[in-house]
This record gives sequence, C-alpha cells and structure tokens, in this order.
Amino acid sequence: MSYVAIKNIRKTFNDQTVLHDIELSFEKGELVTLLGPSGCGKSTLLRILAGLTRQDSGTISLDGKDITNLKPKAREIGMVFQSYALFPNMTVLENISFGLKMKKEDSQTIKNKVARMIELTGLEGKENSYPRELSGGQQQRVALARSLVMEPKVLLLDEPLSALDAQIRKKLQQQLRTIQRELKMTMVLVTHDQEEAMAISDRIFILNQGRIAQQGTPNEIYARPANEFVAGFIGNYNVLTKEELARFIPNVANWSHSIYAIRPEAFTLKKDGKSYEITGLINQVSMLGNITRYTIQNDKMTMMIDQLHQTQSTLQENESRTFFLREEDIIPIA
Amino acid sequence: MKRPFYHYVTIGIVVLYLIIPLLGTFLYSFATEWNHTVLPEGLSFEWYQRLFSDSRFIDAFIRSLLISLGTTAIAVLIIVPTVCAVILYAPKLEKYIQAITVMTYAIPGIILAVGLIRSYSDFQLSKILIVMGAYFVCVIPYMYQGTRNSLRNINGAALMEAAEVLGASRWGAFRHVIVPNIIPGILVSALLSFSILFGEFVLINMIVGTRFETVQLYLFAQTSKSGHMASAIVVCYFVLMALITALIIKATSSRKTKKRAAPKKTWFKLTLPKKEAVKS
Repeated sequence: MSYVAIKNIRKTFNDQTVLHDIELSFEKGELVTLLGPSGCGKSTLLRILAGLTRQDSGTISLDGKDITNLKPKAREIGMVFQSYALFPNMTVLENISFGLKMKKEDSQTIKNKVARMIELTGLEGKENSYPRELSGGQQQRVALARSLVMEPKVLLLDEPLSALDAQIRKKLQQQLRTIQRELKMTMVLVTHDQEEAMAISDRIFILNQGRIAQQGTPNEIYARPANEFVAGFIGNYNVLTKEELARFIPNVANWSHSIYAIRPEAFTLKKDGKSYEITGLINQVSMLGNITRYTIQNDKMTMMIDQLHQTQSTLQENESRTFFLREEDIIPIA
Repeated sequence: MKRPFYHYVTIGIVVLYLIIPLLGTFLYSFATEWNHTVLPEGLSFEWYQRLFSDSRFIDAFIRSLLISLGTTAIAVLIIVPTVCAVILYAPKLEKYIQAITVMTYAIPGIILAVGLIRSYSDFQLSKILIVMGAYFVCVIPYMYQGTRNSLRNINGAALMEAAEVLGASRWGAFRHVIVPNIIPGILVSALLSFSILFGEFVLINMIVGTRFETVQLYLFAQTSKSGHMASAIVVCYFVLMALITALIIKATSSRKTKKRAAPKKTWFKLTLPKKEAVKS
C-alpha cells in the first residue's frame, strides 16, 4: 500500500464539480507535483489533504492510517501557504517555534530544533526580525522552516514560489529540492508552472478540470504526453491533426491516429537516420537566450522549431529551409 | 507652488468660525465678570474650584464613566468574538450584521427612547440596564467596522488556517495569533465607542432622567443656573475628548509604523512611542 493514497475524492462547489473522483498515490520521500492551469482543482485537492476543506466523498490514508475525517492538527501534515500566512506579531524565531509550543514540547527541544531549521533554511541573523522586515524570499523560507520544524509526514506547498521574481524562484526551487532530499521529506507541490514542476519533481500529476490528465516522471510526461491537453500544456509542443501534418509530410493518410505532437527541439538541420523532410518558409525568428525559436510556414500551416543558439545564426526570415524529423519524434496522441 | 492669497483668507475665516465659540467658552470658564467689556474683567479658578468641590458633579462624572466604560467593555467582549466568528467561519452571515449596523442609524433617538420605554415598562427592569442595552446597539457599527477591518488587514482566515495546521486549537489560534494582531484596531473602536457614549444625552434623559444624573444631564441643569459653571464643564469635557482623540491617533499611527518598523507586539507600546523610535 502506498504511503499516501487518495481514493475517489469528489468535491463540488455550488453545483460545480471541481474534483471528479480523484485517485492518486505516492511513496514516502517523493516530491510530487500537482500541475495544472488555474481552476483545475489542484489547490482544492491540497486543502482537502490538509483537512482545511471537506471533500464530499472519498478517502485519504497516510502511512497506513485513515485520516479522512481527522482535524488538520491531527493529520501530521504540514502546509506552506501561497500567501505564507506568517504571524505578523511574531518574530522569525517565534513563528518557527509556534507549532512546537502548541505541541507543548520542552523549551530545550524547541530551541535545538528551531536552531537547526534556521541553519537549514539559511535564516541566520534574521531570528529577531518581524515578517514585514523580510524580503519575499526570506518570508518564504520562514514559512518553509515553520512547517518543516514540525517534522510532518507530508509537507504540502501551495504555489510557494509564485509570488517571487524569476531569479529568486529558480534559486529557491533548487534549495527546496536540496532540503527535501536531505530530510527525505515527502512533499506535495502545487504549481501552474510546468518548468518548475519539471525541474524539481520526482513525479508529476497533471490536473485538468478536476481530473488527472496524466501522471508520471517529468521525463515520461515530457517525452510521451498522453493526450492533447498535456501536449498543449507541457513544453511548447506542436500539436497537429493528421490533415495539418499532411501539408508538411506527404502520404500520412494511412497513419493510424488523428492527432500528433512534435517537440520543437526535435527538428535538425542534418539528416539523421530515418527522417522526414519538413520544408517551409521561415516567417518568424525570436531569440530566447540559449535557444532561437523559428516559426516555419507551409500552406498556411505553421510549426514551431527550436534550435540551440549558435553564434552565427544561419537561418534568416523569409528563407525556405528543410528540416529533418525522426520518425519516433512524431508522437501519436489521439 | 504659491497659493493665492484668498485661500488663506477662506481657511482663516473657517478656523475663526470654529474656534471662537471654543475660545469664548474657555475664557468664560475662567472669567470673574464678563458683561460690558470686550475681554473678561478678571480671571480666576473659582468656577473650577466650585465644580470640583461639587459632589453632584463628581458623582455625575463617575456615573458617566461607569455607564460608558461598562457598556464599551461588554460590547468588546461580545461583539469582537461574534464578528471574528462570523468573518472567519460563516461569512454568509455577515450581511445580517451589516443590516443591524444600518438599523441603528435608521431609528431617531426620540422614537428609540419612547419605543424602549413602552416595550420594557412592563418588565421590572432597571432603566439603567435598558439604556445600557440601547447603548450596546449604538456602538455595534463602530466595533463591527474596527474588528472587520483589522481582520481583513491581517488576512485572519489564512492565519487561522496556518495556526491550525501547525497544531493549534481554534481557541489557541485565536488567542495567540488573531487577538494580538487586531488589538490596535479594537482599541480604536473601543475609544470611539466610549467617547460617543460619554457624550450621549437624548436616551439617558428620556429614559432615566435626573434620577441617574450623568455629566451631560448635570451640564444641562447647570446651563440654566450659571454660564460660567457650564463653560467649565464643557472645557473639562473637551479636555477628556482631546485625550481620547490623542490616544486614538497614537493607536492608529503606531499601527502604520508597525508595518515599517519593528515595535514589540504588546499594546503597551502604544503609550511608549519613544522606545519604538529607538528600536526602529
């Protein structure tokens, strides 16, 4: 039996079903991500796990114990809120020790555990600051430390990095992953940022309109999107119908599927094994840093192509080019 | 930017218009005789001496204090937890509280007084209790607004959830997290309520009358006897109100600085602004 098992969770708000009999499970020490666009039900699912929202039906078990009807404080689950929800009247130290004090741990234990957390999250020197004196990234780390110090069986993180600017976000993503590995903490991260999910998860559950659209490791999901929604949501897949594809590749008429997905970086300028030739007019060139993104057009159909950035770009706008695409990179979706 | 001259003139006239009656009252309360001259003929503390040696005034003052403080305290104890509970756990009920707060403005004092007397005359209830009940209703809007705004500012619902996930009971979360953060707001509401009740005249006069003489009733009685005495009472009243206003300003402004600076959380700091300045 899995460490955390969620069975048939259903939730309805005002006649609108936000979660349709969700089933998912994961193991101890995993960092799993609930990924999806806003309104897909991922935050609701997280709140149900924490016991802050009541499900209409379904069960949740943690470490072999049924926690479906337990109060939040009895679940041994921690949560980091999107708004951090730090207590404004308490210092960093008081914020982090709050939970242990509520648990009536003795003061020496509290002191030791809190000191360790402050070290782990790199908050040394900020112990006596109030939340409003800290930067967003520091507040985020206090929120994390405050939950981690309770040694919860599972730590839930509700879009924990979404309020931070890109650079700090990247840094904190890595820090979060490092801490998670060091403590072997089971974590559930909710995010709408697919790059973030890819970067730090062991496993990803993609949610769409209250249903799980696909689950798997970042690699599996990226390489083999299971349906049109995932292909459209993950990466920058070109999603084409068979008819659309026919404008680039002749004789696809006898192919079995009706929708195909192609990763933009799968195209090469050199022929490599059994490849299709894709020819089109380059009508847009955009520089994205380490890659350059081209849009090629053929008979009013466009395709996105990513090439690693070269010092001397060989491709120009309004130039007709042929790219090569390996057979296995055309992924049948439906 | 240079403002035109007439701006100063207009403001000057308004200020004079507002300040002359106060100044007149102030001077009159210190005047020995002030009948045929532009300025008083002499100054003395006679009226204040007489006022403070009059046990009727002292008693009236204590009664006013008791009835206003008592009602305010009851209001804080009942309305604050109620509003917190409604906003945090039953936001759908908030519209009923809003309806109640509007109602207190909709009913004129006279009608309220007559209505209260007719409704409660059959019960053997102390008239003072009836007035306190009416006062309680009068301060609901102030207490409600203060509590609600404080809760909104700190995002009370999220803080409660965070505390509960960290293992606090609802009561523990309320006591350790919500209360310390809303106290400045509650303090302002309470002071506001107190000063409004302290100056109330209509209800207490109509329902209880001179049997329970408050400062306002005493003042009313004095106006027909001695203008000097009445002026002295008014000045005392203004001094008290000025003190309360100063407290309110201090409470609200230190709440603002709290966002930038780092004062301690206890509300004692509200009265210790210097320490705060050193810290920040």
